[in-house]
Parts: sequence; C-alpha cells; structure tokens
Amino acid sequence: MLSRVANALYWMGRYLERAENLTRCLLVTEELSTEIHAFNEKLAQAEWSDLGAIFPGDVDGGSDLDHLRGFLAGARNPYSILFSLGKARENARAVREALSVEVFVTLNETYRALEAHASDGSADRPDVRGALSTTHTGLLSIVGAVEHTLSRDQGWLFLKLGESLERVYRTAAYLRAKLPGLLTPPPDTDIPLYYVQWRSLLRSLSSLENYRKLHGARLEPHAVIEFMLFDPHAPRSILFGAAAVKAHLEEISGTRELTVPARIVGRLHARLCYHDEGPALPLLDDVQAELGRTHDALDLLYFGT
Amino acid sequence: MKWTHEASGFDEAFEPSGRARPHYKTVLSILQGFSGPEIERRERLQKLSLLNQGITFTVYGEKDGIERIFPFDFVPRIIPAAEWRGIEAGLVQRITALGLFLRDIYGEQKCLKDGIVPAPLVYSRHEYKRELLGVVPPRGIFTHIVGTDIIRNDAGEYLVLEDNCRCPSGVSYVLENRNLLQRVFPELFGASPVQPVKDYPDLLLQTLQHVASRMSQKPVIVILTPGLYNSAYFEHSFLAREMGVFLVEGHDLIVEDNHVFMRTTQGKQRVDVIYRRIDDDYLDPLAFRRDSILGVPGLVNAYRDGHVALANAPGAGVADDKSIYAFIPALIRYYLGEDARLPQVPTYLGFRQADLAYILDHLDTLVVKTTGDSGGYGMLMGPFATKTEIEAFRDKVRRNPGNYIAQPLVNLSAHATYTDRGFEPRRIDLRPFVLYGDKIRVLPGGLTRVALRPGSYVVNSSQGGGSKDTWVLAPREA
Repeated sequence: MLSRVANALYWMGRYLERAENLTRCLLVTEELSTEIHAFNEKLAQAEWSDLGAIFPGDVDGGSDLDHLRGFLAGARNPYSILFSLGKARENARAVREALSVEVFVTLNETYRALEAHASDGSADRPDVRGALSTTHTGLLSIVGAVEHTLSRDQGWLFLKLGESLERVYRTAAYLRAKLPGLLTPPPDTDIPLYYVQWRSLLRSLSSLENYRKLHGARLEPHAVIEFMLFDPHAPRSILFGAAAVKAHLEEISGTRELTVPARIVGRLHARLCYHDEGPALPLLDDVQAELGRTHDALDLLYFGT
Repeated sequence: MKWTHEASGFDEAFEPSGRARPHYKTVLSILQGFSGPEIERRERLQKLSLLNQGITFTVYGEKDGIERIFPFDFVPRIIPAAEWRGIEAGLVQRITALGLFLRDIYGEQKCLKDGIVPAPLVYSRHEYKRELLGVVPPRGIFTHIVGTDIIRNDAGEYLVLEDNCRCPSGVSYVLENRNLLQRVFPELFGASPVQPVKDYPDLLLQTLQHVASRMSQKPVIVILTPGLYNSAYFEHSFLAREMGVFLVEGHDLIVEDNHVFMRTTQGKQRVDVIYRRIDDDYLDPLAFRRDSILGVPGLVNAYRDGHVALANAPGAGVADDKSIYAFIPALIRYYLGEDARLPQVPTYLGFRQADLAYILDHLDTLVVKTTGDSGGYGMLMGPFATKTEIEAFRDKVRRNPGNYIAQPLVNLSAHATYTDRGFEPRRIDLRPFVLYGDKIRVLPGGLTRVALRPGSYVVNSSQGGGSKDTWVLAPREA
C-alpha cells in the first residue's frame, strides 16, 4: 500500500488509542480526586500532576474542573482528547478511501459531538463527565467499526500497529509516573487510601477486573506490578502489548527477512519473556526507549517521511 | 406550505397557468401532503446526515469553517424520458465531435487548414499544448470524462452553455444526493420510475480500464488528487473508495525510465492509468509550470511514450475553451456531416474584429466571460453590473480582446425550491456526465445546481449555489 496511506493509518491508530487512554484515565482520576479530596488535598493534586506527566500538556487553573476541561479540550494542550481525536479524524480524512464508511462516520460523529461540547463554555462537572462518557462510548464504537468492517489488509495492520504501540507506550508511561510514589508511600499514608490508589491504577489501565480474576480481591502491590508488566493475557500488560506490536510487525513484513523495527521489538519481547526478578522502573524506562527506536525505524522503513 | 411559480422565464415544475406540469404532479402532490413542521424535521435530518458523513467541500479564501456542506434541496428536478433522449443523443454527438477535433488539432490539423477554426485562435489558447503535437493518447481518447453544462431558455429549449473537458467535478454529489433523498423522503420514489445512477463508479472504472496499456495483467489505476485542501477532495476520495482504486498525491508517484510507479510499503509499484484531478499546468513541473509541487516530474514524458494513460489527456482543455465553443456547431457539421442536435448560446468573440466592436457597444446587455476561467469567476453580468464595473471590464477587454467572449443573457429556467418562506422558484442548470470508453455513455440525469439566492443566476457551489437530485424518468412501458 501507499507509504503515505500507511503512515496516516498508523497515526490514526495511535491517536485513537491515545484519546481512549486519556478518556479512561480522566474518568478515573476525576472520581479518585473527588473521593480523596477531603482526606488528603495534596494527594488529590498529585493525581492531576501525575496525569500531566503521562499526557504532557498545559492546563489553565488548578481546580478539578479546570483540569477536566484542560485535558478534555484545552486550547494549549497537544495531548487533549479533542486534539487527539481531531488528529485521528484529520488522518482518516486524508485516507478516507482506505477506510469503511462506518469507521469514518463513527469517528466523525464522536469528534463533532466532543467539539460541540468543547465550544460550550458553561459546562459544569456533571456535563464534562457526561461528555467523557459519550466520547468513551464513541471511541469504543470506532474500534468496533474497525474490527467489524475493515478488511484485514496491510492498512488494517498499520492501524493496529499504531494502536498497539501507543497502548504499550502509554501503559509504560502510566506505570512510570505512578509507581515511584506508590512504592515509597509517605509514612503518614492512610492505609485504606493507599489501596484506593492501587485500585485506581488498575482501573485506569482497565485491568481491575482482569486482576481480580487472577488474584481475587486482595491488592498486593507486587502482584499488581507483576500483573501489569508480565501477564500474558491482559490486553494492557506490557508483555501482551509488546507481543502484539511484534505480531503486527511480522505480519506486515511477511516472510521476508527480519526488518529493523521487528528486531528491536523482538529483542524487547524476548527480554520481557525471560525477565527475572528485578526493579520495575529501569525496565519501564527501557521499554519506552525501545518503543521510541521502533517508531523511528518504522518511519525510515515504511513511511519514508 | 406556500408554493410560488416563476413569472419570468421557464418554470420547470409549473405551467404558466400555475398548474403543475404532468411529470411533476405525483411528486408535488406528495410534498404538498406534508405539514410544515414535518418538512422542517426532515430538512434537519438531511443536514445532519451530510455533516456526519463528512460530505463537504472546501471554500477558498475563507478563514473559518473551511469544510462546508454543499446545500441540498430536496425538491427533485424531473426530466421526462422523451426530453432526456434528446439530451443524450445531443451529448453523444457533441462529445464525438470534440474527440475528433482534439485528435485533429494535435494531429493533421485538417480543420485548421480547411478554415473551420482560425489557426491563430487555437494556437493562442493557453490550454492548447504545442508540446503534445503528434502525441496520440491510448486508444485515441482525449476526453474520458466530460461534464457539459446545459441550461433552458424561456421556451424551455435545452441549450449547451459550456463543456468541461478537464476535470469536471460534481458527480459524487449526483450519487450522494440520490442516497440522501432516498433516505429522507423515501415516499417520493414510490410512485415514479427513476432511472438509477449508482452504477457510475463501475462505468468510470471500465472507462479507465479501457485505456490501460498492460492488458495481460490487472492494470493499476489511481486517482491523482492535489490533496486534502482541494475543494473537490471529498469527491476524489469518494470515487477512489467507490471504485476500489488508489488515491494518490503527486509525491506518492515517481517516474523512472519513463514508467510511472507509486511508493508503497513494499517498494515501487507500476501504475497504468491515472485519473488525474489536477490541471494540466500543475501536472508535471518538467513539462508545464516549473513551480508546481502538486505534480509528478517526468509524468508527461511517460505519457508521451505511451507507458501511462492520463484521463483526461493533457491538452484536452482546449476543447472547452469559451471561444472554441463558438465553433462547435460548425465542427459537428465538419466531422459528422450532421447539424448539432443540441443548440447553444450565440457567442461573440473578442478575437473577431466585428464581434469586438459589438461587444464593446453592448456591455450593459451582454454576459462577458474570460475564456480560460471557470467556476463563475472572471465574468461580467452586464444587465446587473454597475457603471464602474462595466467600465473596468471595458478596459480589460480592450487590452486583451482574445481572452474574452460575450453572450446574450439567457434567463435560466427556475425550479420550485424549499426556502424559509415556503417553496419558491430558484434558477437552475444541469451538468450531465459523459464517459468515453469503448463507447460514449451518458449518466441519466447529472448534477442540477441551483442558485439559492432569490433572483440569482450564479449556481456555483463556491458562490452560494446548492444542488438537487436529478431524476430521469424511465420510458413508460407500452
């Protein structure tokens, strides 16, 4: 397929995944901040600044509503949901002929609904929550349309490659931002509150239910970390994500010799498979760095940008 | 709801007495059965549907809302079978003659030697590409896709206003308008045998396959678009999707050894046919405009060598030049030995000394057009212009008379159109689409454009025009 089209589909996959990740994280962070605000205001603020480390962008003001609005559709925020969704739509518009009508229309509708919400300045918290839920449903519909209507050709593979790469990258960034604080809690930490935070971490990575199926209701920090890094079945674990990226890359290159991006990801995947006990943070740093290299190698090999 | 009919000029839907014309009776009585609020509800549905599907066009020079929907009016324009037969035969005849003319002026130039068209006129046309003299396009076809604009005078006679032999646009709206009307007003279709239009993409694909040079393998066909910010981008991507062909931009293509390839994730892939939606000037910086970043360096040489087919062929634009237009009835007689079946508007040429004097004397009653321009740009509507505008135009015409032609104002026919004051007549025209492959086919109907401003004659989408679904009724079974 055309290099330009492959590139647009790859980025469409990345931006859709990014928008979905942030939508979910915002819904969880908003709830958590509401829940713990009265107990520990500093902690509630820290939740927002953590989010800013995972999705770096400027937010005007410091209230919960300011944060919500800023991450939803902030004018100066290149990681806002509206920005990502707009970019996904722009890419889709540039390669409409490579997509089905269903994919384009669900994407266009979701974008237009959020844009209409964003231009309404009077929105309060329930309104913003409503917009977040609607957007989340819309994003899942787009994914559904992709799943149900797109031919499993190269275009689909590039879209899925972008999606899986973004997902594992963002999960790594999320864990990287959250784990330092959670692993060395300040001495005055309220124990129930501590577990609320671990629960939120799993929910933000839509993994709480999956974790419980494996470990029951008990939230054991080391089990949670192990689960998010190495669980072979959870769609948002690092290992699962690396395997998905690897599989897409291999399918794209076909039976030909190993390509540069496939080598990088293959090595990363092997390392995760054979990982022994060890600190999580350096591993997460490496995961992000290797994914960055993978992206550059993809650019060079397939997109020629 | 109130229905008014047109007092001056031909009204498509109503007789002068105010009675509905026979072929409109069924549709009008169904529409008249709807309440005002019901009509409004459906209008809203229809607008929403256009926006959600992203059926939009881009307006140049506007800052906000660069994507706009092309307004759609749901009262269909209806053409009875017998009238359509006349239009269809007239178009086939006309496009046949245009094809022979193009082959002639890029070949033996008999019509110039025989004095049918003055040679200096042809040579001075910007769209005449001397570089391509002697180049015969694959299968000798220059104009694979033509959109001819047709209007109706006060007597209801169909007249050709102009031909579009370069990259006529609007066919995607023909197909989408039909979809939209069927969805929003399904009742209208129940009682009328409307000829389908949805096979256009198949016919277009066949037309393009017909000129592929590699017949043994499956030819690779692409649409070449200037890109996302072109006003007709929606149509380019729509047609690519409907035909299942690649949509490419200039930088996706490379020419090596006079063959055209596209850059893919698996390396280079050979291209056989390019349906280009880029004007000649921007096609190839090595052949025409050197500053073009939209085109493909070397493309014209690959075409010259017969390794790639271009639709339409470069240089075809000279056939739709507004001054060449004046000679088409003579050309039809010259090549085919027949009289033109479709009449056209009398035309005065700035190029001809006697005509020029007449034009300059009658600027206040004539419509003056720049020969190379399209889209309603660069024209003077004498009867509606101010003194200053007329004088400014007089200067322009004097300075470069060969670039201007003038025609008497033809009252476009009017058609009942939904407005916020009820159903009122608005001026319309018609652009049928003609495909030239193994034979010449005319898509039944075409794009009916409507000037939405009351009294306006300008139907262009870039200047406040909208469109209607165009129905050609099937012949009644005996």
